[in-house]
Amino acid sequence: MVKIDEATQGIVEEEIDEAIKDIFNSDKPWVTIVWDDPVNLMTYVTYVLMELFGFTREKAHELMMQVHTQGKAVVSTGSREEMEHDVARLHQYGLWATLARGDKAL
Amino acid sequence: MSADSEETPSGFTRHGSNDYVANFSPSESEVLLNLVEQIIELLGERTDNHSDDPLAAMVGITSYDSPPDDEVLLRLLPNAYADQVDASEFRRYTESTLRAKKSAHAMSMRIDLQSSPDGCIEVDHEGANAWLGAMNDIRLALGVRLKVQENSHEDLEILAPNDPLRGVYAVYSWLGWLQESLIQSLLDDAL
Repeated sequence: MVKIDEATQGIVEEEIDEAIKDIFNSDKPWVTIVWDDPVNLMTYVTYVLMELFGFTREKAHELMMQVHTQGKAVVSTGSREEMEHDVARLHQYGLWATLARGDKAL
Repeated sequence: MSADSEETPSGFTRHGSNDYVANFSPSESEVLLNLVEQIIELLGERTDNHSDDPLAAMVGITSYDSPPDDEVLLRLLPNAYADQVDASEFRRYTESTLRAKKSAHAMSMRIDLQSSPDGCIEVDHEGANAWLGAMNDIRLALGVRLKVQENSHEDLEILAPNDPLRGVYAVYSWLGWLQESLIQSLLDDAL
């Protein structure tokens, strides 16, 4: 068995701490949520997600199906400003979207 | 008259590498024009009053920080946050841009219809996206009137012949079909 000396262990622990901090203190803890809507066509939702986010047809279809069957789906994550931009673009095409802090969103 | 005469609806089809074509009858063009003008008018009703603040006008800050009372306008200009304070703040800074974008989609559709008296519409990718956005806004507006949240399609299919909503539902369904034909043409490109 490899014996990890104290210095190496210290570095590993530091790295793990950093990774955890990244998750909780990152500037990307916001999410954009698309909600189910009885008017918007399924293909339209797929198409808009492809156009606005550059998703493949498969990825966009998967997210659309999640909206359709579960009532909502997270379509993007990032900083608050980025999510406000995404929600504004979704609203321009009539999708029902909101943004929220990731830890309070779902 | 054969079955594949001009009367047969075709919706949008792809034409060449980047164009989408539809042929509308005079009555179809008239219905589309009438609907899109209603959207333009509705969005125009919520104008900003910047007489007291020219700087706000310049940077596009709206005088509205509360959602529209009108149900249709509320669906077209929804809240971006569940939290009312955040939603108001966001609305103040973004609603005028959203209204301008939606008006631009509708005006693009109106110009195409007005400049094609023969009913032959040809749009490129950008024009197609404007049509999709505008047709969707019209369907959202009609959907509010039809209360599609509460009424199922089955409920709406069996409306009485004298029910004024019956005609609204027919137009709503036709628009959905038209929108679908354009989306399918666009998605064929994306493959």
